[in-house]
Amino acid sequence: MSFRRKLLLVFALTVFLCVGAVSWIVSTVTRRAFERASEDQTTALIAQFRREFSRRGEEVAHRVETIAGSETATRMALAVSRGSTDYSAYVNEAKALADNQQLDFLEFVDSSGTILSSAQWPAKFGYKEGSLPAGASPGGAFLRQEDLPDGAALSLSAIRQVEIGEKPIYVIGGRRLDQEFMASLELPAGMRAMLYRNLAKGFSAPLLVGPSGNAQQLAPLIEQVQQHQQEATALLHWSGDAADDESVHAIPLNGLDNQLLGILLVGNTRRPYVELRNRIRSAAMLAGSVGIVLAILFSGWASSRVTRPVEQLAEAAREVAAGNWNTRVPVDSSDELGALAESFNRMTEELLQQRERLVQAERVAAWRELARRLAHELKNPLFPLQLTVENLVRARQQSPEQFDEIFPESSATLLAEIANLKTIISRFSEFSRMPQPQFQRVQVNEVVQNVARLLQAQLQSPKHSPIECRLELAEDLASIAADPELLHRAFSNLALNAMDAMPQGGTLSLRTRQSSDRVVVEIADTGAGLTAEECERLFTPYYTSKAHGTGLGLAIVQSIISDHGGRIGVHSEPGRGTAFMIELPDNLDKLAAAG
Amino acid sequence: MRYAVYNSPINPLINLRIPGMLTPLFSRFFISVLFVLLFVVSGNAQNWAGAEGLLAGKIVAASGPKTMVLEVLNHSSLSAAVTDDIRRNLLTQLAVLGVRFVAPEQAAANVRVSLSEDMQSYVWVAEIRQGSNAPSVVMVSLPRSAVLTVEPAASAMVLRGVSLWSQPERILDVTVIDDNPARMLVLDANGVTSYRMQDNRWLLEQSVPVAHSRPWPRDLRGRLVLRRDKDHLFDAYLPGVYCRGLTGPPPAMTCFESSDPWPIGTDLFSLNASFTSSRNFFSGVLSPGVGNQTTAPPFYSAAAVPREHSTWWLLAAVDEKVHLLDGVTDQVAEKLGWGSDIASLRSGCGSGWQVLATGAGAGRSDAVQAFEVAGREPIAVSTPFEVSGAVTALWTESGANGVVAVVHNSETGGYEAFRLTLTCGR
Amino acid sequence: MRPSALLLLAAVSLCLAVAAPARTRPHYGGNLRLAIGEAPISVDPADVSPAGKSMPPSLSRLIFDTLVTLDARGQAQPALSPSWQVDPGNQRWLFSIRRGVAFHDGTGVSSDAVAASLRAANPNWKVFATGEAVIVECDAPTPDLPAVLALARYGIAKRTGGKVVGSGPFAINRWDAGKKLVLTARDDYWGGRAFVDSIEIEMGKSFREQTIALDLAKADIVQIAPDQTRHAVLEGRRVLSSAPTEWMALVFSRDVPSAQDGKLREALGLSIDRDAMNNVLLQGGGEPAGTFLPNWMTGYAFLFPTAVDLQRARQARNAVQQAPVWTLACDGSDPLARVITERIALNARDAGLTLQTTTSAVADIRLVRMPLPSLDAWVALGEFAGSLGLPQPKFDVDRLQQSANASTEYAAESALLQSQRVIPLLHLRTAVALSANVMGWQEDPDGSWHLQNVWLETGKP
Repeated sequence: MSFRRKLLLVFALTVFLCVGAVSWIVSTVTRRAFERASEDQTTALIAQFRREFSRRGEEVAHRVETIAGSETATRMALAVSRGSTDYSAYVNEAKALADNQQLDFLEFVDSSGTILSSAQWPAKFGYKEGSLPAGASPGGAFLRQEDLPDGAALSLSAIRQVEIGEKPIYVIGGRRLDQEFMASLELPAGMRAMLYRNLAKGFSAPLLVGPSGNAQQLAPLIEQVQQHQQEATALLHWSGDAADDESVHAIPLNGLDNQLLGILLVGNTRRPYVELRNRIRSAAMLAGSVGIVLAILFSGWASSRVTRPVEQLAEAAREVAAGNWNTRVPVDSSDELGALAESFNRMTEELLQQRERLVQAERVAAWRELARRLAHELKNPLFPLQLTVENLVRARQQSPEQFDEIFPESSATLLAEIANLKTIISRFSEFSRMPQPQFQRVQVNEVVQNVARLLQAQLQSPKHSPIECRLELAEDLASIAADPELLHRAFSNLALNAMDAMPQGGTLSLRTRQSSDRVVVEIADTGAGLTAEECERLFTPYYTSKAHGTGLGLAIVQSIISDHGGRIGVHSEPGRGTAFMIELPDNLDKLAAAG
Repeated sequence: MRYAVYNSPINPLINLRIPGMLTPLFSRFFISVLFVLLFVVSGNAQNWAGAEGLLAGKIVAASGPKTMVLEVLNHSSLSAAVTDDIRRNLLTQLAVLGVRFVAPEQAAANVRVSLSEDMQSYVWVAEIRQGSNAPSVVMVSLPRSAVLTVEPAASAMVLRGVSLWSQPERILDVTVIDDNPARMLVLDANGVTSYRMQDNRWLLEQSVPVAHSRPWPRDLRGRLVLRRDKDHLFDAYLPGVYCRGLTGPPPAMTCFESSDPWPIGTDLFSLNASFTSSRNFFSGVLSPGVGNQTTAPPFYSAAAVPREHSTWWLLAAVDEKVHLLDGVTDQVAEKLGWGSDIASLRSGCGSGWQVLATGAGAGRSDAVQAFEVAGREPIAVSTPFEVSGAVTALWTESGANGVVAVVHNSETGGYEAFRLTLTCGR
Repeated sequence: MRPSALLLLAAVSLCLAVAAPARTRPHYGGNLRLAIGEAPISVDPADVSPAGKSMPPSLSRLIFDTLVTLDARGQAQPALSPSWQVDPGNQRWLFSIRRGVAFHDGTGVSSDAVAASLRAANPNWKVFATGEAVIVECDAPTPDLPAVLALARYGIAKRTGGKVVGSGPFAINRWDAGKKLVLTARDDYWGGRAFVDSIEIEMGKSFREQTIALDLAKADIVQIAPDQTRHAVLEGRRVLSSAPTEWMALVFSRDVPSAQDGKLREALGLSIDRDAMNNVLLQGGGEPAGTFLPNWMTGYAFLFPTAVDLQRARQARNAVQQAPVWTLACDGSDPLARVITERIALNARDAGLTLQTTTSAVADIRLVRMPLPSLDAWVALGEFAGSLGLPQPKFDVDRLQQSANASTEYAAESALLQSQRVIPLLHLRTAVALSANVMGWQEDPDGSWHLQNVWLETGKP
């Protein structure tokens, strides 16, 4: 991973972590604040409900008081006190009075509990009123369950006595607790109030007053309040969307005899909180994205400030590694990077000088080596030459007859050694006149097969133990651009060297394989192997481990491989053999250049 | 063929014939007295004997001649006295059939008879309970007739009414001809029917239809005027029709369409007025007129008020006001409380002439009261004569000694004609 | 038992003081304005629409004459037919047709027109014209055919091109179905021109709207709900009530399926407190009923018990192990019906029966209100039976004998009631309130009006 990317990653991670931490903190604080506010609102709404309840109750009590003091009530009480049971005279009075006083419920009941007149159930005259409070009548309003022809209803009622004569009558009036009552409550946005009329066992959705949606979800909360008759709170999930969640607070409402008659449900939607939370998250995401973008931009800028010099240094180092020791890095700053660049430049300069010196030294060493080798190579044939000539001279001088005897042999020897000298010189000449490769599309497997074919005879030569030639050629080997002649020479040299390394016989392995865009040729033997030092010096010209040879073979091979842009390596284990690996690029661009 | 149902025959006690010495005046008086004497309060016109016997027979048939307890309850309009009579007679009838009446604990059957009625009949229902079985029910029905109640007035001048005739159809006018035998002409929508007194009953003599091309208006009115002029016995006036009755027997009549004015006066005070043929009132055109006044507001009826030197006329106008025409002026009295029908009556009481007027109200009963016009204001001189229905006609007789009043009985739906006279004090 | 209906009418109506009774002659002219609750959708007398949607007979008779009318005592009187006769067997009747009578379009009322009208009204009859009479052949002895022909649906109408015209005292001037009807008096009506020039009828008005119209002088005659009659009188309105005529009852949707169901129906009938219902809820605007026909009509209705008997009701209920919950339906737009059904449900509960009140069209029991169809008891019973899907009462030829009248009707009505398809509750009075200028009001005991005899005090001649 490049430094730029690392830098980018660090910046991005830093930004992301910062944003994430901030958003988490904000979310937590917001949630707590929201819950506090929700509690406060609920408490305020309950207080408002109680106030409205109380106000309505006072209003109802006042209206009932007015009715109890009316002439109609007086007339009714007088008639009852005289023992009259004629309901016809006032069966419709309750309805008229109730309409007049805007009450939903109104009943006149005698002291025995018999209904004299009922506004909400006119047909019930003469029947007993089942829910007449026992004992003293309460002064204020109270919750009451009203029986109606089509069911029951919840009312806020008050009761007054009309005491005329010995038998008083009761006036029970009230107003329905229904949608209208609930609508009178001023609800903050996001809050709603519902009233559950506890008029039957268990939960029944139609008994719920107010907007409820899927009322069945309220059942567990309501049943809990019914069971324990205490306040309770629940979080309801109305849908899969968390924004639809609602916190519902249930408050029991009791009647006169502490019977649970109603349950006030205050719902507070969590939508604002969820939306805020989502907004925070979105902001965090946006900030993070922006941060990353900024990180990218900053990293780009930083790299231009920081990594570019480093990259330049790295590029220069690569150039140097590639051999271009003349690379210079611009010094754009006076900071550490500038100092580094200067140091690099000094280093390369030093390297250049050293390389020059080295090259010079190597050149001297090579010349020395070449001179040594040449001297050695030449000395060898020259010595016999010298001896032979000396013998010839001696023989001519001493024994002319011996001269004729040894003259052919000696001339042969002289010719051989001169040929040898010519060979050595031609090799050196050849080495010095290595041609440039003529690139063409070459199938390396074919070259290897040609080499193997040509070496068959030598492989089976009786001069040495038989050597098995094993071909392991990759089938899908790609064509490369190369000079087949030169490749043939290089492979042949290596193969010959391998054969030479197995005087006792063995196995010559010729392998090819594809490695990425390179073709790898491996020529291995099962000879004695080379030591590490030998491996190092292997490609030095004139280095040879053979008893004979100019030592130029591997140099030629290296030269050819180098001209092809490839690489040659060696791996050897003493006693197990040696393997030369040649990596050849495809050089297809050279093929295009060659036309 | 099924015909429309008429009323039952008039009680023969109502009319008596005394031949020979009767002068017209005396005969009229005598008949009137007899009417008064013989027409008592709440006459019982039903004969229960048949029904009692039939019911008793059905009870015995259902229960057998046994010991029983009888209870009679009245759910009808019969009076308590009649109910008691029926009960007594039922007991008698049952006893004749072998029933013995015992104490309740000894009775084999407990019989409850309920005297009820429907629209047309009395319905007597007997529930016979024997033991714990469901009671068996037998019943009889008998036609129900209306009973008139006429109460005498008590005041200085007394209006008395004598029933002349009754029938289901609307009576327009009735005239009694004091001949030998007496005759009665009844004018109704169909024509003029003459009756002859025979065996104390009015017998139909002849009915002469009135031909008319146009339909009669509602609240049909008509007038009979007795002429007794050679062959000319009577005139009948109907909206758009005039009929001339000829002396019979039987009387004959010829009718023709006419817009001739109707006589609204008497033999003594003649005045004619044009009648609007498609309506129920006089148009107001008078002939010969009252003094200089030949037109008046449309009116329903008129009454002459003789004065020393002239005759004033009271008109019960369509605008519900009473106009007094004195030949010069038209005075209007608005708050007299009179109805639409007024007529003059010569009584010999008080000033000699009174005006009979119906009251101006709305109700199912009506009354006629006598007034004298002292100065220019009418003053009531008699208590109201109440009738069981609305007065649909009030016409002064030819001699002005009586006024014929036709009443639409609100109970029976039929029409009854009375002759009203005024007697002076008690 | 109370006195006769006619006397009762006099007692309930506004009575005049003895000192100043009497009346004035009828005035011609003026426009009589009515407001009624019915909203008929057709003027054709032969159209049998549901209750509330059919033309009230009193109004239909203003437009369409019948061959016969019934007087206040229920006796047949000539109308378009001055006379009639029947062959032995009471199946073939001959009705003469009055001469000189014309339809409102000017064409004469011929025997052909009458025959066509009767055929349209009753396809079961064979009706054909002969000269100036029509012959009606019934498929069964029908001795009361004249009374049947007095029903408003046999009003003689001429039907051409979708229009229908009559020959009655009034012609249609304007007709907005269910909303307004304006009639104009015919000067040439054979029975005499009506007193008023025109009659304007606003339809489909609630009782409250009608009362307001009367108070605002926008109507001269309005209907009063039976339970509001006393109140209206106390408020000083001029109220006239009929005899108890309108039949209110519980009608079961199907016949008794089993003896147990019959016991339950008996229990329900015994549990209903009709007296309380009548005295309190109706404010005395009716009387308890145990029969189809009121007592003033038959004279024997008192034989059928109406008093509540909770003990017997509970006994009957307890004789059945499992009592189903019955649905009891009423007309939701009728406040009186609603309160009556609520009361019945309460009464039934006392006897151990559960009734669920509803306004749905489908129910086990319905509270129905039906006007008295005819003043002829037999025809009325037949009409009740026909409307309720009960078997027609069997006619007994002895009915012609006066003495057997009440007995045969009693037997027929008993048979109908024994089916236990109905539980009669009340006979309601129908009441009208009149403005002060309405005169000449006549009402038959069955509540039928005779508007052709009504006149207005303010009318111009």
